[in-house]
Amino acid sequence: MAEKDETKLCRRKFLTRAGKAGIAIGAAAGLSRLLYDATGPKTGVDTESLVTLQNFSVPYKAGRTMSVVKGADRVKTVDRAIELLGGIERFVKPGETVAIKPNVAFASPPILGATAHPELVAEVVRLCYSRGGAKKVYVADNPIYDPASCFMLSGIGKAASEAGAKVVLPKTHLFKRTTLEGGKLIKNWPIFYEPFKNIDKLIGIAPIKDHHRAGASMSMKNWYGLLGGRRNIFHQDINTIIAELATMVKPTLVILDGTEVMMTNGPTGGSVSDLRRANTLIASCDQVAADSYGCTLLGLKPSDLPYLAKADKAGAGTTNYESLKPMLAAVS
Amino acid sequence: MSLKPGRAKRLESAISICLLAILLLIGVGVFVKQFDVDMSRFGIEAATVPELEIPPDLASFVPAGVGAISETEVYDSENLYEKINGRAALYLDSGFKKLLTQRFASKDDKNLIMELYLYDMGNVRGAFSVYGVQRRADVDALPRFPVSYAYRTSNALYLVHGKYYVELIGFSESDKLLKAMIETGQKIQANLAADSDTEIAELDLFPTEDIVQGSAKLYLADGLEFEGLTDTFTTRYRFGDQIITAFLSKRADAKQAQNVAESYCKFLADNGGVDKPTTDKVLEGNIIGFHYETYDTFEIVLSIGVYVVGVHEAESQELAEKLALRLVNELSKAENQ
Repeated sequence: MAEKDETKLCRRKFLTRAGKAGIAIGAAAGLSRLLYDATGPKTGVDTESLVTLQNFSVPYKAGRTMSVVKGADRVKTVDRAIELLGGIERFVKPGETVAIKPNVAFASPPILGATAHPELVAEVVRLCYSRGGAKKVYVADNPIYDPASCFMLSGIGKAASEAGAKVVLPKTHLFKRTTLEGGKLIKNWPIFYEPFKNIDKLIGIAPIKDHHRAGASMSMKNWYGLLGGRRNIFHQDINTIIAELATMVKPTLVILDGTEVMMTNGPTGGSVSDLRRANTLIASCDQVAADSYGCTLLGLKPSDLPYLAKADKAGAGTTNYESLKPMLAAVS
Repeated sequence: MSLKPGRAKRLESAISICLLAILLLIGVGVFVKQFDVDMSRFGIEAATVPELEIPPDLASFVPAGVGAISETEVYDSENLYEKINGRAALYLDSGFKKLLTQRFASKDDKNLIMELYLYDMGNVRGAFSVYGVQRRADVDALPRFPVSYAYRTSNALYLVHGKYYVELIGFSESDKLLKAMIETGQKIQANLAADSDTEIAELDLFPTEDIVQGSAKLYLADGLEFEGLTDTFTTRYRFGDQIITAFLSKRADAKQAQNVAESYCKFLADNGGVDKPTTDKVLEGNIIGFHYETYDTFEIVLSIGVYVVGVHEAESQELAEKLALRLVNELSKAENQ
């Protein structure tokens, strides 16, 4: 009889067990509910944290958009080129903060012409302080190759620092994601943002170079250095990315250095025989116009570089630089 | 058959423990397995197993009095762009495997800096391709080197050594630096195992008369802008003030050579070429020949045995035919040897 009582499932025992099972199921379900991620992993654009570079351009002045100065001395030609556009005072106001974005893409010396010339960078820094009354001048670029070596061996780090600029090297926390409205490639992509966040004016300085992929590397291609991440993937669609960069970045002024032009084996070069002395420096508020003129020093026509037409179409500037009636001069 | 209550309980416990143990084993199995994912199932290639090959010690090639001022850097096809940015594509398209670089400076003068680039291009053809395409014009060849694929500029030295394409870039123009670079290049050729052929047979098939020294190039793809012309060598010839290009591409057999020659002729015709018959009996009689007057230049395309050869962008038909005949003679000589 006792054995029968042990094995028989009485009503009380059934209810107790059913209750326990119910609690266990409820607890598991509750825990699952707590851990459940209804949104799933993020695959789209996180629009809340995206940043946008501000528009640094200055008001248009007829006949004072672009200047071309002939001469071998970069300090003299850049002084004259900026003077022709109304002087640095037109672009930099007292107390303003300026960022200069030179092309510091490689750890190579100035003699090879693969990077912006340090004398040119230093002179623009000096102009911003001495004539423009700038409060602070930053010099920043994001070379993928060891940035410290690039700034050191190109001579730009030393020249800029001695002229009073603060050199900003890329660090992870200085990058933010951006999306170019209507862009095809720049979508939720990290850019070197922090040095350009709280500034008033932006000046680009680039040499004129042959480029294996793009045909030419000039002012617009210089903004490639703002991109973070594995930006080499954009080389597959180089014309679109350059045009998008020109649309994304609205600089105050660009300075395009054609004193010595890298005619072959760009963008790295390596031999001084890759360079041709053209003794030309261009300053322009319109980067598309500057590059359209600059490419002629490489023996190209603006129509040879598809990114120029794309940028023109996107409203970043004009390929018809002659319509701007560039101011011409020569210095000895 | 019924069990005693105590025994039944013990049996239940034992079964429960077994089940829990199985579940635990499954859990451990899942945990361990997650570190051994077959990425190919997700369309992702597993990382390449690193080569066991010991990389050459670049510092061993520089002369005494020159010392390293940086560590050796190693780049593969994944990160080559970090070093040479937009030029990476040229190397990747030519079979690039690995790049080693290091900077050196004179121990007497720290401002005399050079950087050595040692590109492993897989074989001599890949190395020659990047060498030829980038070769600077009007520069000094280096006859003292064991092979002729070497030249220097006022600040740099470039050479091919088997599968290696070597660049020595001086950071200034200095005779002392150049001397160190030449010594370095010679040491590389003498001491570094080339692991590949060091000569390219096709280059000997070009006639030497009037040749522009050092003008040879190898296009592994898209020779003369035509996708059918792979592995195509070109050299330039100077006739007075005219420069004419000759080309040569070896195919698997004569039939293939003929097909490629015909395709190239069709390509020229599609792009405005006009058939222009030759007046030369040798060209007309011996081979399948095509003449085109394209954009005021003359093209000759020939199929000779396994070779597609021809003349590209000649300003006069007479000179185009003169060079074509020399090519025919050179190939005939090679065939008879």
